[in-house]
Amino acid sequence: MAYGKKVLDHYENPRNVGVLDKDAPNVGTGMVGAPACGDVMRLQIQVNDAGVIEEAKFKTYGCGSAIASSSLLTEWVKGKTLDEAAQIKNTEIVEELELPPVKIHCSVLAEDAIKAAINDLKSKAS
Amino acid sequence: MFFHVDAAQSVGKIEINLESLPVDLMSFSAHKIYGPKGMGALYVSRKPRVRLEAQMHGGGHERGMRSGTLATHQIVGIGEAFAIAKAEMKDEGIRVQKLRDRLLAGFSDMEEVVVNGDLEQRISGNLNISFNYVEGESLMMAISDVAVSSGSACTSSSLEPSYVLRALGLTDELAHSSIRFSVGRYTTEKDVDDAIKLVREKVQKLRDLSPLWDMFKDGIDLSTVEWAAH
Repeated sequence: MAYGKKVLDHYENPRNVGVLDKDAPNVGTGMVGAPACGDVMRLQIQVNDAGVIEEAKFKTYGCGSAIASSSLLTEWVKGKTLDEAAQIKNTEIVEELELPPVKIHCSVLAEDAIKAAINDLKSKAS
Repeated sequence: MFFHVDAAQSVGKIEINLESLPVDLMSFSAHKIYGPKGMGALYVSRKPRVRLEAQMHGGGHERGMRSGTLATHQIVGIGEAFAIAKAEMKDEGIRVQKLRDRLLAGFSDMEEVVVNGDLEQRISGNLNISFNYVEGESLMMAISDVAVSSGSACTSSSLEPSYVLRALGLTDELAHSSIRFSVGRYTTEKDVDDAIKLVREKVQKLRDLSPLWDMFKDGIDLSTVEWAAH
């Protein structure tokens, strides 16, 4: 199986692998997927008082494309507001990582993960 | 009702005696036993008579069963490969099993490792093993120097986990985390030791990346979790 260079790069040099304190009021956690599907992504974001994402961490159980999609997302959301982060489309991930059609669903899951993390943060605020 | 057996993986690994095997049809493949690619054979029983619907029509070759001239040099190839396989089978089986057992032993002290299928009722060179909480395709990518396959959904174009592993009773989870290693005629002890080292290192690296491994380490029973599946 030929792996895309960018996908391999995210695997060899993972960015932002880790864990944030899910109970902290300024941390949002999104966990999507299921082990039975072979794909589970946990994405966490930490916002500052200005509502800007200053830190993002991920952990993923899944294929190389899933790992790369979630890794890329943590890179992209840093420095964005919650509304800006919610605008990220899975198609942008597909383009950046040059994902083949059979791996598009990995990018969809990553988009779901960031939305879930944002929703988690918003529900904490309310 | 006819009984067909796909014996592509069996030649040279287990005894095949068509005089005593109660099969109507059996398929063979050259390249699975070190013969040339592009050649195979089909045994078709005469008593009881099996009539085949031709897939290729034309000059009526192979008693009307398969038209088209075949590559003679490859027929020689499959014949030679099978002859060698028959001669080497016993000794090769012993050598290959030792290497397979050495490979398995290399993972025996690791946590959450499951061998899929029966260890006794298995051909000597095969090891299908699941490293829990690590997805199969990501491990394949990580150990790309070693040629293996996985029953994970991510490796199939249908995005379904291996139906063979499912039939063996594996959960989908373990199927997604499975890796199939095969030890063969040209595998050396060094190959096995190198593979063990690489796999151990990469499984650890992928477990450090895995939220499921975190949850397992935290003592969470994953079967009780409500997943937000897409």
